[in-house]
Amino acid sequence: MINIDTEPPQNSQGSGSRQARSFDSAPLPEKEVLLGWLRQMLLIREFEVRTMQGYQNRLIGGFCHIYIGQEAIAVGTIAAVNPDDPVVLAYRDHGHALARGMDPKYCMAEMFGRIGGCAKGKGGSMHMFDAEHYLYGGHGIVGAQTPLGTGLAFATKYEDEILHDGKSNHVTLCFMGDGALNQGCFYETMNLASLLDIPVIFVVENNRYSMGTSIERGTSMANDLHVKSEAFGIDHAIVDGKNVTELYSQFKPIADWCRKNSRPYFVEAQTYRYKGHSMSDPRKYRTKDEELVEESKDCIAFLTTQLVEEYDVVADAIKQMTHQVKAQVREAVEWAKNSPETPIEELYKDVFTDSWGPFTGTSAPEMLQDRGEA
Amino acid sequence: MSVATASRVIEFREALREAMSEEMRNDKRVFLLGEEVAQYDGAYKVSKGMLEEFGPRRIIDTPISESGFSGMAIGAAMRGLRPIVEFMSWSFSLVAADPILNNAAKMLYMSGGQFGCPIVFRGNDGAGGQLASTHSWCVESLYANVPGLKMAIPYDPYDAKGLLKTAIQDDNPVFFLESERLLSTTGHVPEEEYTIPFGKALIRREGRDCTIISFGRPLHFCEEAAAELAKEGIDCEIIDGRTIRPLDIDTMVQSVQKTNACVVVDQSWSFASVGSEIASQIHSICFDELDNFVHRVHSDDVPTPYAQNLEQAYLPNARKICEAVRAATYNA
Amino acid sequence: MTIEITMPRLSDTMEVGTILHWHVDVGDEVSSGDILADIETDKATMELQTFDDGKVVSLVVNEGEQVNVGTTIATLTGDIPAGGEAPLEELVQTSVPENSEVKSSASVTASKTEHLGSRVSPVARRLAEEHRIDLGTVTGSGPSGRIIKRDILQLVDTKTETTAAATTTQSSVVAGQVSTAAQPIKPLAPTAPWQEDKVVPLSNMRQIIATRLVESKQTIPHYQVTMSFDMDPLLEMRATLNEQLASSGVKLSVNDFLVRCCALAMSSNPEFNASFGGDCILYHGPVNVGIAVAVPEERGGGLVVATIRNADTKSLRSISQESQYLSNKARTSGLSPDEMGDTTFTISNLGMFGVEHFTAIINPPNSAILAVGAAIEKPVIRNGELAVGNEMSATLSLDHRVIDGAMAAMYLKTLKELMENPASLLV
Repeated sequence: MINIDTEPPQNSQGSGSRQARSFDSAPLPEKEVLLGWLRQMLLIREFEVRTMQGYQNRLIGGFCHIYIGQEAIAVGTIAAVNPDDPVVLAYRDHGHALARGMDPKYCMAEMFGRIGGCAKGKGGSMHMFDAEHYLYGGHGIVGAQTPLGTGLAFATKYEDEILHDGKSNHVTLCFMGDGALNQGCFYETMNLASLLDIPVIFVVENNRYSMGTSIERGTSMANDLHVKSEAFGIDHAIVDGKNVTELYSQFKPIADWCRKNSRPYFVEAQTYRYKGHSMSDPRKYRTKDEELVEESKDCIAFLTTQLVEEYDVVADAIKQMTHQVKAQVREAVEWAKNSPETPIEELYKDVFTDSWGPFTGTSAPEMLQDRGEA
Repeated sequence: MSVATASRVIEFREALREAMSEEMRNDKRVFLLGEEVAQYDGAYKVSKGMLEEFGPRRIIDTPISESGFSGMAIGAAMRGLRPIVEFMSWSFSLVAADPILNNAAKMLYMSGGQFGCPIVFRGNDGAGGQLASTHSWCVESLYANVPGLKMAIPYDPYDAKGLLKTAIQDDNPVFFLESERLLSTTGHVPEEEYTIPFGKALIRREGRDCTIISFGRPLHFCEEAAAELAKEGIDCEIIDGRTIRPLDIDTMVQSVQKTNACVVVDQSWSFASVGSEIASQIHSICFDELDNFVHRVHSDDVPTPYAQNLEQAYLPNARKICEAVRAATYNA
Repeated sequence: MTIEITMPRLSDTMEVGTILHWHVDVGDEVSSGDILADIETDKATMELQTFDDGKVVSLVVNEGEQVNVGTTIATLTGDIPAGGEAPLEELVQTSVPENSEVKSSASVTASKTEHLGSRVSPVARRLAEEHRIDLGTVTGSGPSGRIIKRDILQLVDTKTETTAAATTTQSSVVAGQVSTAAQPIKPLAPTAPWQEDKVVPLSNMRQIIATRLVESKQTIPHYQVTMSFDMDPLLEMRATLNEQLASSGVKLSVNDFLVRCCALAMSSNPEFNASFGGDCILYHGPVNVGIAVAVPEERGGGLVVATIRNADTKSLRSISQESQYLSNKARTSGLSPDEMGDTTFTISNLGMFGVEHFTAIINPPNSAILAVGAAIEKPVIRNGELAVGNEMSATLSLDHRVIDGAMAAMYLKTLKELMENPASLLV
């Protein structure tokens, strides 16, 4: 007989006066790892530069959202969790895909609409998926990924409790922008996550603008975002979105706590996107001065300085790394250009898993086949 | 008539419960969530007793957040679990339209074949009894338009169980449309496990003069009409489509080739409906076999009214079906 | 290595851009991220940045100039090793295939619905064909007289024998079916086919003929009136004239006489030189008689109608010459539109093949056509006594909307008088 306790769940009900939870900063990993983070951020930035170029040269169409300026968040948070922890994203997703380990060539090919793309050219810029790296997609509808993230985390917990009988081994990262804070399903999701004790971290990349609407104009309590999660009994933290080592130190203990206690968290990372909301945004809603100020606090510059000053990394090594990254991205662009156009037959593939009527079943993309994952 | 041979007679709601319970016993990845499914025993008592058997981790009460819990279930399905989401009414699915259409139906495609969505959404579809316009939605015509989802509508307890088991076992998202008005109806259901394949229509009544095609609850109106028409010497053949996607147009075509007359009965509104789709396909495939164009019977093209007499007049009732069959066979 | 900077697509709908202002000059060093120019697009003014480091070699487009997206606007020398930087090609956009509409040639409109009893349900049509029932004999019991399955099945059930009416002017319709439900027709013993099946596409000529004749038959209420002509006087005159004019190369044919007679007969029968105008009758001034000429298969086959304009004003001689010229031309190089158009009356003559009698289809927009047979030697009654004479049968097909029976009779009477008194043609 299974206990069907009729008491309401306790963790989500609030306790009157709640102390903000505090953690000791996590120690940083060794220099090699930090150099790896720098390389990742350089890779993301160069990749996004070439993405912009590709878009302006009409190799990429539709909507395209550039991550430049926010690299530290993807790199720092993903470094704080395990490679098999689920990750789900909004549509500004190239950076996270690369940070998770997707080879840039599949990412670029997807945007070029080629068969070699991670979604065989059928998703595009907003839909970076990678089953091998537990990357459950970029998603186009604002906020729609938040219930998905909760569901993924729910599933990991279900797997442990029902299928494998163990404690939850996973925490799920659910990234969103500040714009998603206004979408109804996010509140429904936080309610569910808190009620059901779901180990999901809602990482809000607060770059202060939803397209052309500044956060003050669109979101009430923009200065006190913590009340939004507190409304559901979910803990809140603010981390430095521009400084990857700071971010990691603050974020890692949170991730570990969520994993251990199977609870959700609301983490706000303050940052700035250097480019427009998307490729057709002339950025009239903010001043040049503001942009320059923010760009002077660049996450790549911060880490570079830190590595040179505190870890004795020589400038030459960084320059070499930059060249390698540029070459890698160049190769990725080349590879993507040479990947064939998605064949017309693919139109009717992957609609259903089985074949019937005009539908022709499903098959894995090249990316998974190359790794023997087909 | 049902094709079951066993002597056991159970209610439609019990058949649904059996389907879910059997599948949950066979596969631990299957679980049920929705409003009032657990402690309340189900708003319509479909999941009665399931909390006792499977526990609160697998029979999950959700708050009133269709959008949130549908999305959550879809995320879980992406991970490989096999959720059953109960909408207390398919009318409430409208607030969850984004996740169920944009995420569930499209996930496999958008991810280039990487992540599927083996999920079942089920609930009451169509007019209940005087539930008025916001609670009487027939969603088949709205959702059947979208590629990437399957859709089944059971007629009786035997079909309810067999089709729901198939739905749960299917690796694709399935929209399972029940009817509140049928939940208490009874029928023969075998003890042993069985499934009913999707995409195979069933001839419920054989006849010579006119083919009637329908799904779900309206089939009962069709049977009423057929009995009435038989007295006038008009012999109707009734086809139960069982699933809208995939649609077994072949069985329907074969029947029309025999009778040369066709009436489609669809409880949704007529404009851009499942009924219009079937009529269009019959016209194009059976063009030379038709003695008359395909007649259609739908609910009236108005929001569902509350008053009982208005609602009864509004439905695709037996009277409308008789009129349509007479017109189609030039017996008006 | 030269890097080309092209006019970028800065919004998803942008097709052209204007350089408002260059921020760099030739010779300037630039690094990735530097702004090169302000560009005006369809939506806003945007900044163009360089993605590469290098030195500005040329500025190809001037300030204020508008160019298409993709046009080179500047070049840099870059620091990327040769072969490393991929050239900036543009994707050839898969063009949307143009709607290749099959342009249907002048199609026969579904004017079938205007015919009585021509509404048939698809299955009734198929059943009628299977049971060899002529739809023209069936009364439809469906709405607006639609013939439905029940109507056909009733006929089949009552074992009605029907014969499909044979039409004379159309060819290759199997005539005279008898169908009884009890006994199927026993097929003849199979013999080797005398020729192989083959499909020959219609030539333009035959296509046009097909279209026009169907249109004529379907829209004009045809009826026929036949008269016989005593040809002896005309044949005698013809022989005399041909003998006398042999040296001038004149060779009159019976048809030439016919053309003149028909034209002259119009003066007292003006409705024969008229056309149906919908809500009026159009009486034509000039009398343009058309003569039907058979065209050899090599030239497309079928027949054309050559126009003898103002036939009522022309002499037999000029009618003859013109008609010979046009006939030859029709058979060899073909007639010009001018030589084929504007007829007001047509004559079709199968006499040279020995045909006694036939009916022709009106050549729109004419109101009548004369179908002429051979002058045949046969027993005739002259002055109450049996004699041998040459009689020719001619049948008018007429448009009943313009010409009614009495008028037709009058015309033929006039024609007969002219034909049987050919001396009147000389004056």
